Amino acid sequence: MTVYHSLQELQDLAEDRGVAVWEIVQQADMDASERTAQQSYDKMLEMYRAMKEADAKYDGSLLSASKKAGGDGEKLHQYNVSGRNLCGDFVGKVMEKAIKMGESNACMRRIVAAPTAGSCGVLPAVLLSYEEDHDAGEEQMVQALYVAAGIGKVIAENASIAGAAGGCQAEIGSASAMAAGALAFLQGADAQAVMHAAALSLKNMLGLVCDPVAGLVEVPCIKRNSYGAVNALVSAQLALAGIQSAIAPDDVIDSMRRIGNQLPCELKETGKGGLATSESAEHYLK
Amino acid sequence: MDLFDVVGPIMVGPSSSHTAGAVRMGYVAGCLLGEPVRKAEILLYGSFYATGEGHGTRKAIVAGLLGMKPDDYQIAESLTLADQRGIEITFGVARLEEAHPNTAIIRLWGVGDKSIEVQASSLGGSRINVDKIDGIDTNFTGECPTLIVHNLDQPGHVSEVTSMLAHESVNIATMQLYRSARGQKAVMVVECDQEIPQEALTWLNQVEGILKVTYFAGIS
Ligand code: SF4
Repeated sequence: MTVYHSLQELQDLAEDRGVAVWEIVQQADMDASERTAQQSYDKMLEMYRAMKEADAKYDGSLLSASKKAGGDGEKLHQYNVSGRNLCGDFVGKVMEKAIKMGESNACMRRIVAAPTAGSCGVLPAVLLSYEEDHDAGEEQMVQALYVAAGIGKVIAENASIAGAAGGCQAEIGSASAMAAGALAFLQGADAQAVMHAAALSLKNMLGLVCDPVAGLVEVPCIKRNSYGAVNALVSAQLALAGIQSAIAPDDVIDSMRRIGNQLPCELKETGKGGLATSESAEHYLK
Repeated sequence: MDLFDVVGPIMVGPSSSHTAGAVRMGYVAGCLLGEPVRKAEILLYGSFYATGEGHGTRKAIVAGLLGMKPDDYQIAESLTLADQRGIEITFGVARLEEAHPNTAIIRLWGVGDKSIEVQASSLGGSRINVDKIDGIDTNFTGECPTLIVHNLDQPGHVSEVTSMLAHESVNIATMQLYRSARGQKAVMVVECDQEIPQEALTWLNQVEGILKVTYFAGIS
């Protein structure tokens, strides 16, 4: 029986058995769900392909239910191809895909919650861009998705992946940690560096509150996907350079849990504080 | 927590609780009715009522009633589709006290003579809980095959159900018993690991003292 309840256990299992992190995550899924290796793999592949399809089907002319969100992904695309791209091709592309996915979600398109609908843009933004720019195979991308899912599962079990319970650090923060670990894996990091990439990423998201305007998954959610994705790039780059989180990865997750509990409920998806109660927010739906 | 609740589910946005969870609620309620819907009254409570418009919660519940799953592209068009099928739908506010903030009461009337009232809440992610059926407390998620038996509160009915399941080699995951008052109506909710064959359900329906048998194969 393969079971892990912390990032340390996940790392230890991979090291003791001399296998990759994703293999431990897959084995644990098989043991817990009675799926075969093939069934588990196919399901993860289905998730990856659904992300790809959602990205390809982005429609910049759509508007959300509030009629206020939509079209920013297209703007970013136009800027990225204008030849004046400040951030460079790869980072520009990651930002663009993240915003596009967030907008697709707000416009009732089909997306993959990862870990939630509000934060659905982070993971596909980094993975799809990586596949396109680094000539990685689909199999490698599915493996990276397992790494991300394993990290997300540990966060869900020990802290939270719901804005209503832990604030936005639990949604965009978790997504960013998952993406950072996946990227580090893709670039050949060992198990320890994968966990540190996740920890570095989450550390920078601690305290992020959930204050969506009018209770809708639009402001600040859509743009936050872009920040979460770029935060993952920064964290993976640091970890790949051999830089470690001074706070142990599991302690970072536990800190997120404690911060989530200490956040007042006004800042946890109730629409009663933060941006949601700003003066501009009052005009948002008008 | 299932790995594919962390990466997944594939769903139509914008909110896992207010959209995907709402589709599941409608889907479960529709299955529990056991025949096509003729008329529906949907009452929303708390955050479902307050922010449901922007999250497409109404459309999502109706989509579920029409048999759609959370990843169905037609969720956004469900109200029009229901209209085309001649289903009468009304919305309102649920007046509840101390309910979960994402709660809906779904009252359904079928094309035959069946009717049901389901109260359910969306727990986050796209997971739901069915809190009440026809006013009697229940507590199940709809994720696995679920059998709901309304019976008279008399000795013997529980063992009739459990021996039927044993006979069909169906393993019981959880079992809950509720009653309105001693000797009155009782409800059994049995969550199972395997599906229950139709013949067994038909047999159960004919047993004396069993008032109503509802079965739901589970959404994955
Ligand atoms: S602000 Fe709240 S609803 Fe929006 S992405 Fe963050 S956690 Fe989700």
